[in-house]
Amino acid sequence: MEDSIAVNEAVSEEDAAAIEAVPQKKQKKPINQAKLQDNLWGWIFCIPLIVGTVWFVYICLIMAFLLSFTNYNIINGGDMFAYMGKFSEHIHPQGAFYWYKFAFTNLTKTSYPMNELGAYLFNTVFYMIGIPIGMVLSMFFAVCMSRDIKGGNVFRVLYYLPCVASTVSIVYTFKLMFSQQGVMNGILGLKSFDNGGGFQWINLNGTTDLAWNTIIQKTGGTPTSQSAFMNDPYWCQGIFTKLVIIVMSVWKGLGGTIILYIAGLSGVNAATKEAAQIDGANGWKIFWKVTMPDLYPVIFYNIVTSVIGGMQIYMEPTLFIGEQYITSGYVSLIQMNGIKAGKSSQGAAYGMILAVIIFALTMFQFWLDSRNKD
Amino acid sequence: MENMENVENNVEQPVVQEEEQYSALSYAVGAVLAFFGISSKTHRASKKRAKFVGDIFTYIILLFGTFLMVYPFWWMIAASFADTTDSASATQIIREIVWWPTRSTAGSAFSSTHAGGLFWNYRIFFTEGLTVVNDDFTFWRALLNNLLYSIVPVVVGVITSASAAFSFAKINWIGRNAVFYFLLAAIMVPGPSIMTAQYAMYHGLHWQENGLVLIIPGMFGSIMTAFFIRQFLFGLPTSIIEAAKIDGAGYFRIFCGFILPLAMPAIMAQGLLSFMGCWNNYMGSYIMIPDNSNAVNLPHAIAKMDGYGGGGRYASQNYAAVIAGSVICVIPVMVLFACFQKLIISSLMLTGSKE
Repeated sequence: MEDSIAVNEAVSEEDAAAIEAVPQKKQKKPINQAKLQDNLWGWIFCIPLIVGTVWFVYICLIMAFLLSFTNYNIINGGDMFAYMGKFSEHIHPQGAFYWYKFAFTNLTKTSYPMNELGAYLFNTVFYMIGIPIGMVLSMFFAVCMSRDIKGGNVFRVLYYLPCVASTVSIVYTFKLMFSQQGVMNGILGLKSFDNGGGFQWINLNGTTDLAWNTIIQKTGGTPTSQSAFMNDPYWCQGIFTKLVIIVMSVWKGLGGTIILYIAGLSGVNAATKEAAQIDGANGWKIFWKVTMPDLYPVIFYNIVTSVIGGMQIYMEPTLFIGEQYITSGYVSLIQMNGIKAGKSSQGAAYGMILAVIIFALTMFQFWLDSRNKD
Repeated sequence: MENMENVENNVEQPVVQEEEQYSALSYAVGAVLAFFGISSKTHRASKKRAKFVGDIFTYIILLFGTFLMVYPFWWMIAASFADTTDSASATQIIREIVWWPTRSTAGSAFSSTHAGGLFWNYRIFFTEGLTVVNDDFTFWRALLNNLLYSIVPVVVGVITSASAAFSFAKINWIGRNAVFYFLLAAIMVPGPSIMTAQYAMYHGLHWQENGLVLIIPGMFGSIMTAFFIRQFLFGLPTSIIEAAKIDGAGYFRIFCGFILPLAMPAIMAQGLLSFMGCWNNYMGSYIMIPDNSNAVNLPHAIAKMDGYGGGGRYASQNYAAVIAGSVICVIPVMVLFACFQKLIISSLMLTGSKE
């Protein structure tokens, strides 16, 4: 009891002090204390993320941008920051834009009638065939799953399994499934191809003479020794490997897109659908005229992220058959020149070109989007 | 009323019109179509029947798709039990698998000629497989690396992301929006294009031989995670925080006592997703960590067994060991996903991210 009285007294004393203090402190704005706390703690909570982003993204971006004008080599160049400290001394001796010019002019490393950059970019864009295929398939499955059926959630989980699995494991499985005597050739009836050797999906050549002639014979043509199309370097070399990679990436990416579309489909206005049904529209028409316009934002988001991701394809071709100009994506160019060979400046220049391409593609898509809305 | 319903639900309800006469054939076709839930000129199918038939088709399609999704995993498991002790026919056996290898370790487990046991390929993978990286490298080292690379950055990173999200969502401070958009803009920078500069920087910091390169950057949190947790925190009432403030709790106390427990679903989901990403992070290890160092992670070590396109020691003779390693690599994420699938899927549906 005594304690509480004492406390009360203390409180009342404090109160009195506060009342006395208020008129004096009026010009100093006593609310500032709370605002100060807000500002202080706001920054403190943010600081790790800000430091991380600035350090590992922005500083590296600036460094990569500046590196692309120099001739830095990681093996004998010493510390990068020390090297970049004397940036003006280290600009590339053959002009600041040497590596950019080099990227667009060197024709030496491929047997194609195009430069290295073009060859790798062609592969990257080729792999993007998988995007529309995956979108149509996942839309189909998403519409099936969002029907009023029992166990829809189970399917959702099962279709998402490939997304969580490691790419390394998946690639090795697919590699063996698509091998010459593998299960895929068994299904497609190609085991007897090439005199019983089986059709070779994963190789860097075009089709062999024998394989080509078998295709020609099956379609009713007369076999020729060397077809022009067969020898066409970049359309035909490694094309079946590329197809296997597309199949694999569609298979692996399907589940994520399905979940995206299911989320979108559950947001479609049910009342509009019902109204359309009463007006006599069939399911097909409802899908195109009611569901699709409502799904448009989801589809647009999916296209944008898929294109950004597709431009950065790297792991699948590398794991399937290694890095070379026939199958590898653009990122391999950065990896091979900038990291494996140690020519950081060249890699940085290729990286800047990639960033510009991705940015331009994204802006182009947003421009198309804005034009659609008008 | 009951009569009316019966009439509506009647499957074969002939719509006889007096002016038009239908031939027996079209009438029969119409009846069959109505049985399968499709309305035609002669018969109108009931809605119930149409839904029933549609459901059956949906199930067939979805089950077929499920088969396509699950079969490679089954194939992977089957291949990991292929008996490849006889190296002459080893490649052939593993390539010809459809459902189960013609000679499996299960079949020859107890025979005297192929003494290996059921998990022979796994044993090879555990004992000698990963020495392709270097002589001291063992499976346990790879597992330890993988756990280190996926648990430490994810746990610390999710907490730092959550703290940043709390600050962005619930605290008013000067320059908050500017900082937020400054951070958000970093998402637009493609990873590969700054790869070389990052590599040179980590090289200078000597983070590559010891694997710190896959730990430290992740510990600072990720912007996407912070963004999603921020969206989640906007849904929480601010009055809780104000009440706590009036009761005298500081911001740190509010964060630990209120925000972390309340935002746990979002934090868990994001943490699990980034755990899976880190566990499977082949690219980070392959690019940043030297091939023969002890710091490579499990997918990288398995990829080295294959030798990038068929040149590895195991590619020609004992590919089953590589596949066994693949199974080992997939199992932890699968188990985790199976345990938390509801949380993960609902979080994916909420945020719309695909990773």
